[in-house]
Amino acid sequence: MTTTSDLIAQLERLGGEFAQAIAPLADEQAIRAAQAQFLGKKGQVSEVMKALGRLPPADRPLVGQAANQVKDAIAQAVEARLAALAAARRQADLARTLDVTLPGRPVGGGHLHLLTQVRLELVDIFAELGFAVAEGPQVETDWHTFEALAIPKDHPARDMQDTFYIADELVLRTHTSPVQIRTMQAHPPPIRIVAPGVVYRRDDDATHSPMFSQIEGLVVDEGVRVSDLKGVLLHFVNRFFGGAGGAGGGGLDVRLRPSYFPFVEPGVEIDMSCAFCAGAGCRLCKGTGWIEIGGAGMVDPDVFGHVGIDAERYTGFAFGMGIERMAMLRHGVNDIKLYYEGDLRFLDQF
Amino acid sequence: MKAVWSWLLELCDLPHAPTVEEGARALTAGGLEVEGVTDLGAGFTGVVVAEVVATRPHPGSQKLTLVDVVTARGGSATQVVCGAPNVPAPGRKVLWAPPGATLPGGMTLSTRAVKGVDSPGMLCSETELAIGDDDRGIIVLDADDATAPGAPAQQALGVADWVLEVAAPANRGDCLGHLGLARELCALLGGRLVPPAPGPDLEALAADLDAAALAAVTIDDPVGCPRYVARVIDGLVVGPSPRRFAQRLRAVGVRPISNLVDVTNYVLFELGQPLHAFDWHQLRGASIAVRRARAGERMTTLDGQERALVAADLLICDGEHPVALAGVMGGADSEVSATTTRVLLESASFEPRSIRRTARRLALPSEASQRFERGVDPELAPLAAARAAALLARLGGGKVARGHVDVYPRPPARPRVPLRLARARALIGAELHAGACEAALLRLGCEVEPDGAAGDGHWTVTPPSARADLTREVDLIEDILRIHGYGNVPATLPALHVGPAPLVDDRADRARRALAAAGLAEAITFGFQSRERALALGLPPGDRRAHPVAVRNPMSAEQAVMRTSLLPNLLAAVARNASFGLGDVALFEVGAVFLRQPGQPLEGEPATLCDEPLRAAAVLAGARPRWLGPPQPWDYFDVKGVLEHLARTLGVGELAYVAAADIPYLHPGVAARVRGADGRILGELGEVHPDVRARLGVEVPVFMFDLALGELAPAAPAQMRPVPRFPASARDVSLLVDAPVPSARVRDVIRAVAEPLVETVRLAEEYRDAVRLGAGKKSMLWSITYRAPDRTLTDVEVDQAHEAIVARLLAETPAERR
Ligand SMILES: [Zn+2]
Repeated sequence: MTTTSDLIAQLERLGGEFAQAIAPLADEQAIRAAQAQFLGKKGQVSEVMKALGRLPPADRPLVGQAANQVKDAIAQAVEARLAALAAARRQADLARTLDVTLPGRPVGGGHLHLLTQVRLELVDIFAELGFAVAEGPQVETDWHTFEALAIPKDHPARDMQDTFYIADELVLRTHTSPVQIRTMQAHPPPIRIVAPGVVYRRDDDATHSPMFSQIEGLVVDEGVRVSDLKGVLLHFVNRFFGGAGGAGGGGLDVRLRPSYFPFVEPGVEIDMSCAFCAGAGCRLCKGTGWIEIGGAGMVDPDVFGHVGIDAERYTGFAFGMGIERMAMLRHGVNDIKLYYEGDLRFLDQF
Repeated sequence: MKAVWSWLLELCDLPHAPTVEEGARALTAGGLEVEGVTDLGAGFTGVVVAEVVATRPHPGSQKLTLVDVVTARGGSATQVVCGAPNVPAPGRKVLWAPPGATLPGGMTLSTRAVKGVDSPGMLCSETELAIGDDDRGIIVLDADDATAPGAPAQQALGVADWVLEVAAPANRGDCLGHLGLARELCALLGGRLVPPAPGPDLEALAADLDAAALAAVTIDDPVGCPRYVARVIDGLVVGPSPRRFAQRLRAVGVRPISNLVDVTNYVLFELGQPLHAFDWHQLRGASIAVRRARAGERMTTLDGQERALVAADLLICDGEHPVALAGVMGGADSEVSATTTRVLLESASFEPRSIRRTARRLALPSEASQRFERGVDPELAPLAAARAAALLARLGGGKVARGHVDVYPRPPARPRVPLRLARARALIGAELHAGACEAALLRLGCEVEPDGAAGDGHWTVTPPSARADLTREVDLIEDILRIHGYGNVPATLPALHVGPAPLVDDRADRARRALAAAGLAEAITFGFQSRERALALGLPPGDRRAHPVAVRNPMSAEQAVMRTSLLPNLLAAVARNASFGLGDVALFEVGAVFLRQPGQPLEGEPATLCDEPLRAAAVLAGARPRWLGPPQPWDYFDVKGVLEHLARTLGVGELAYVAAADIPYLHPGVAARVRGADGRILGELGEVHPDVRARLGVEVPVFMFDLALGELAPAAPAQMRPVPRFPASARDVSLLVDAPVPSARVRDVIRAVAEPLVETVRLAEEYRDAVRLGAGKKSMLWSITYRAPDRTLTDVEVDQAHEAIVARLLAETPAERR
């Protein structure tokens, strides 16, 4: 005859058995299964409780109480076990180590060509002053390349730029200046453009490449002056070369030296004070404190005549610079050929 | 042009004598860039002028002489051993390098025994001092040389001097002589030009002959030859020029030859006027005619070459034959020689273009032709003739025939150029004063008259005849600015005015940035290439790219034709990198290619500009960027991924990829054409054909694309779609299809259903397994997501939509469901 106290004792024992049963279990599913096994319809607790009907009614609440305590104990044991497992997992996770000195998995690795980087920077600098970008064909007419720029056939200035010919009247442009002509033909003033692009000359040595790139600037408007040319160039050299040699940002000067280009009058060579030695003299400025960076001048009235712009009403200036030279000066590139060989040992440096 | 500093100063009257550095700086600042200054006497030090006071034979050698020299009159003599055969008699001066002196090449002299006799230093020859090429004996100064004993040898040799290398601009032919440079120096430093004045000399040297009777000059072509001045000098004796006279020629880079030839060169460098000396006795008929060549005419120039002439060549002829190619080269028959006694001197001006054409055609550039090509002032001709005549008479011991012949049919009117102060100020942007403008023009040698009728600040300016480049107001303004100084121009910025905003096509740079972001390095390669490389792609004749435009005058075979595709240069770069051991290459280039315009002939020189379409091409060779573990070779899907990334970045919408076995430079099984939404072909991608690789020396597989960047529709600004507020539901379907069925086919079927609830369609898995799936079959797992913008879809709705799509797929692909 099962007594009330037996029954209570059995229930209490079940609590202990459950704790033992789940002690070795390490995953939540198994623990939940064990819990269901003890508390389910056919579980141990239900088995014990089948004897409840044979007890005196007055004792039944006591046993019910005991059964609830067991159920609570089982639930607590489950929670405690799961918490212990979680803590152990966290502990184990935190015990992980990695050789953090192994190399990173490569990402990207692509880049723009140095000349593209420099060109984009030049265009940005001139954009600050309102210059837009213009382009033109590389195979050009003789007229756009020479005649319209006041360089007729048999002009000695044609010697300054030894030309690749495609046909009698077609050349590989020797400078970006034909873009000036095309722009002035297409748009009435005011005009304010820069024209970057590759050009070709029959010249091939350590400092000359048969193909190289220039950037050309053109401003045409009423009241454009030599002093405006100087100001634009001053802005440019300080933005591009300022601080290039650790000489301190800004503070670079521009010197215009009279020179001759048939399509400008007056024509000048552009020198900037050496950004690399602060004027003390170095290899780049050949000890002079000045570095030649390009040519410029006021648009020749004859050029305006060729494109139908009134030279009395409008004036303008143009300038041209070699992009390779900009990059050579600022990045120490010592051989112009390196730019065009697709050699990753060079390209990947920038 | 090389200029000798002392020569320049002779032609200037300057308020204070500038140093050579000051002179060089002034010329450079004035636009005549001095590219270098050479100290002529820098090669040796300590060498002095010494007078020979006694000579006697060396006791131990017949070839050696013992020479007593003094470096001060009445001073004590030093005995020097000399091996030269020309030791002069006492009283003449030689150049002595005593112990401590240094010679070119760095040798320092000491006292040394020569065959048993101590010699303190040595007496020097031209070659030992590197001032000339005479090594036959020591330098003996001319008998009348006035240099004092003890003076530095540089002084006696005329090398206590500097040579300036001046880059004269192409329009400043006047600066190809010392006179023109001196004019500039005077203008820049504020001085007065002093042209050489041969006048009085000539009177004293006059012969009993009349130039007009000895040289009848006619000009048939006054355009080709605006002016011809002739003089005749008689009784000449050909011999060497005096040492310092010859030294000036050496300094400007001309080898002294004889007094006759040297004088013409001297005057050329002094005044910039080329001269020619004819041996009068070799001229037939005592006459000179200037005319164009006749068809078939030939002549032998003084270099011994027989030249076939063309009608454009300008000739100097005697009574019978051509005797010179005008301004370019003299003829062999009439050349002066060692026996010449009478000279007809030509001082003429010729039209630049004519000289240029002849000199170009015959490849005969000379000091003379270079000057005529830039233009020589006709007003110089009489001065140069007189100067040379006087020098010839003096150096050659001759007499000058009376008068000169001067044929100058149409002297041009000197331009009178109006100038406005207001215009100068407006163009320069500097405060200029009327007085300063006038002063600058006067210093440049201009005549300046106020234009009273037009009011203050208006002038009429007549530039000097030497300055043919000054014809317009703006030319004068430039010269005023040169004298005023660019350093005195302020820096301003041009005012911004509203103009039409230009449309900027930045597709090229956006593509470059996208491709760089995708991990590729940008290459920039030449626009031209070898014909062989251009043809390496094996394109059929019907392809425009198979007919590159040729460069007419390439410098090498590598510049023969313009590129029609970016691919060959990129593949060559792959090969080049591989040769350096860099096998992993991911390169791209964005740039123009050059195609004959439609309708132009496929061969020969084009008559029109090229089409220069913008292309973007990429090549992947070797493996992806390396990390731990084995290399992972690039494959087709890498290059396709890059292309898809590019298309996405440019916003060109979805591109279609169609398998293409007929692209000659791609592997027939790994190649596709790229089509835009409108069906146009926009490019190709795939694996480079092994034959093409072999032609370009590439040994490993290369995956590439080549996209017609310029033909992509410009992207409209992206428009926002509402961010979904309701969840999506995904359904998968696994299909068994015939292996050749492209995934695009399945996608097309799904798209054709046009189910509005479909949000995305993604191929999640594709595999082949002959055992499990059967040969010739493949399995594809497609994942489709469904979403409605306004509600959460029920399972029933999603299932319905999905099953409808699956049914279409099974029927139309066709496919089986797995
Ligand atoms: Zn420096």
